[in-house]
Amino acid sequence: MYRKNLLILALLISLIVPAGLVTAQDGEKTVVEIYFPIAVDSPITEILNGYAETFEAAHPDVDVVFSFEGAYGDVKTKLLNTIEGGGDRPALAIMLATDIYDLRNADAIQSWDAYATEDYLADFAPTWMTNSYYDFDGDGEGELYGLPFQRSTVLLYYNQTMLEENGLAAPTTWEELATTAQALTTDSRWGILVPNSWPYWVFQPFAAGAGQNIVSESDVDVYFDEQGIIDALQYWLDLFQVYGATPEGVQNNWGDAPGAFTDGNAAMIVHSTGSLPGILGRAEFEVGVSALPGREGGFYTVTGGGNLYLVEGIDDATAAAAWEFVQWLTMPEQTIDWSIQTGYINTRVSGFELEAWQTYVAENPQAAQAAATIDVAVREFSVQDLGEVRNIFHAEILNVLNGAATPAEAMEAAQTGADEILSIYR
Amino acid sequence: MTQLSRRFLPILLILPTLYFVFMFTVRPTYKVLNDSQEYYYPSRPDRVRPTDLQLPGIEEAPRSLRGPHDVGWAYYRALFDPDTREGETFRQVMSNTTQYVLITVPISILLAFVFAVLINRPLRGIGLARMAFFYPTMLPLVSAATIWIFFFTPEYGIWNTALRFFGYHGAENWVINPNLALYSLMIVAIWKNAGYFMIFYLAGLQNLPDDVFEAADLDGANWVQKMVYVTFPLLRRTTLFVSVIAILSAFQNIDHALVMTYELATGEADLLLYEVYQQRFEFRNYGFANTLTVIMILILLTLTFTNFVLSERRGE
Repeated sequence: MYRKNLLILALLISLIVPAGLVTAQDGEKTVVEIYFPIAVDSPITEILNGYAETFEAAHPDVDVVFSFEGAYGDVKTKLLNTIEGGGDRPALAIMLATDIYDLRNADAIQSWDAYATEDYLADFAPTWMTNSYYDFDGDGEGELYGLPFQRSTVLLYYNQTMLEENGLAAPTTWEELATTAQALTTDSRWGILVPNSWPYWVFQPFAAGAGQNIVSESDVDVYFDEQGIIDALQYWLDLFQVYGATPEGVQNNWGDAPGAFTDGNAAMIVHSTGSLPGILGRAEFEVGVSALPGREGGFYTVTGGGNLYLVEGIDDATAAAAWEFVQWLTMPEQTIDWSIQTGYINTRVSGFELEAWQTYVAENPQAAQAAATIDVAVREFSVQDLGEVRNIFHAEILNVLNGAATPAEAMEAAQTGADEILSIYR
Repeated sequence: MTQLSRRFLPILLILPTLYFVFMFTVRPTYKVLNDSQEYYYPSRPDRVRPTDLQLPGIEEAPRSLRGPHDVGWAYYRALFDPDTREGETFRQVMSNTTQYVLITVPISILLAFVFAVLINRPLRGIGLARMAFFYPTMLPLVSAATIWIFFFTPEYGIWNTALRFFGYHGAENWVINPNLALYSLMIVAIWKNAGYFMIFYLAGLQNLPDDVFEAADLDGANWVQKMVYVTFPLLRRTTLFVSVIAILSAFQNIDHALVMTYELATGEADLLLYEVYQQRFEFRNYGFANTLTVIMILILLTLTFTNFVLSERRGE
């Protein structure tokens, strides 16, 4: 019996060992694993696997492996848990641009400074770089952590056909936005939907339109109790209290808004540029887009989306191969193709001159208008302890919408709460 | 067999079980109790600052913002100090969890009992009715929540349409409205669980002796009297059992919260286990997450122990 078991064991080992040797031979290729979120409804996996094949054809020594992890939050959680548990780290990850502080603090990512040259960086639109630098080592100059890849802004989508039928023009001020929305509201249709299930992002263009962003360049300051912020919040209230142009209270769901718009149940919506291909594909009317009108005119929006991060603690060969791939992936040819296929905005300035883009926008002028909003985009909300500070801000915004507090009271409370947390860093 | 092996064989036989109990129950419990006395915040930089870590009873001193630092029972003191953020969160979470348990458990048990009585009859097509009541149980909670998100859709969702028919004109977006989100979770839990608990009542009903009902008939008891004075008391052990699993599952199931109310950025719908997840994986406030876990273990232990004592006594 004993001898028989030994024999089986020997057989098993002889089966496993050659298998291991074969894997080792494959291992001569440098594997670049990339954690990737699926945040829009385009065939992301097909597009990216196609990119990987194209790249590998030119770089036979590199094996690019995309690992699709769900939403942005899932990618971050998985990366941090993998690192903490001592698992195999990916080389790259796409995560929210705003998560830069948490990720660097947790030693999850490393700087691109050793790789990215000034020439390379010069072609990225400066707007996209506003959440890319963090002075972690405290030498007074920020290190580069986030390379812009899938980026978006907030847009005002309006039903151009409906506006024309009612003899209205696209709004250019808060007043016009509200009165236009009011004029287009009927028993079965809302004038405007501003999703407030994840409110800070769609709120930022309104705040900027009142002359006050909720954050500055600093990672420890917020400006919740400034008059401009309070005015912007009051304007949100006015949209249903004064103009009756949007549902009362906390009503609009992020995911429902595009459908309501294309079905004609909402004349205007505030949503991500990422929804543009879907909306253009489904709408049976002419769709107009712009950034959000400001209080006294002008247009405003905010950046959003994800950056490419280089994971900390990978070996030099993998990091070098990852950098090769990132350089290729962020070439204008690829960023334009990515933009056309997904609705994210191209990140490379020179990409807009490519023929592929020119042809595309000749047919889809809205894409060009969406891309143009990067000139008026402010920095997205990002500070230390972002999750908690954001929760405080969200809670107070929802309080205001639910009538539990006035904008001034709520924003004072939000400021106090945020300062309490952020004071630890000052 | 020798005397020695006879003495040690039983111990040897339960050793594997003991090993697993130790590795997967005792050791983690000890570790979480230990770690709950430690400040560790890996999403904060390892930067030394004069700070009291914003915990009660901790003196200000130059410390790393990340930790780890031994803070003793500071998190437990913070839980019961409403001026701290931990205390405020704890108060809200406990209030939510208590409401959730107190509302979902009795309602789903009552519904389960009613369903069981309704379908415990030899009627044609009763199998279909049983199937209908039991169907929600077969769905994973995640799928149930996904279906209900659709029901809860403002304007055209079936839930809001039905409510409007009955004259409701309030807010409609249940899953993202801070005032409604917790109720939306309760509704899904009740819908999901009533059919499951019904099975236990149905089994109980079918095992009831006929003679007591014959005796009740002879005494001229009507249907309601039989229900209240005969059926329900006879099913008291089923009720006890169902209550215990209902309460335990109310503490343990948060799948629907992850699907439905994750977009709600505020804490109005956070249940205890969900908060543990958030603190541990989203905010990375390890000390607080461990402290909440200890509280959760204490609550579950108390419930299990109470159930043990009660059912042992009744068993006599």
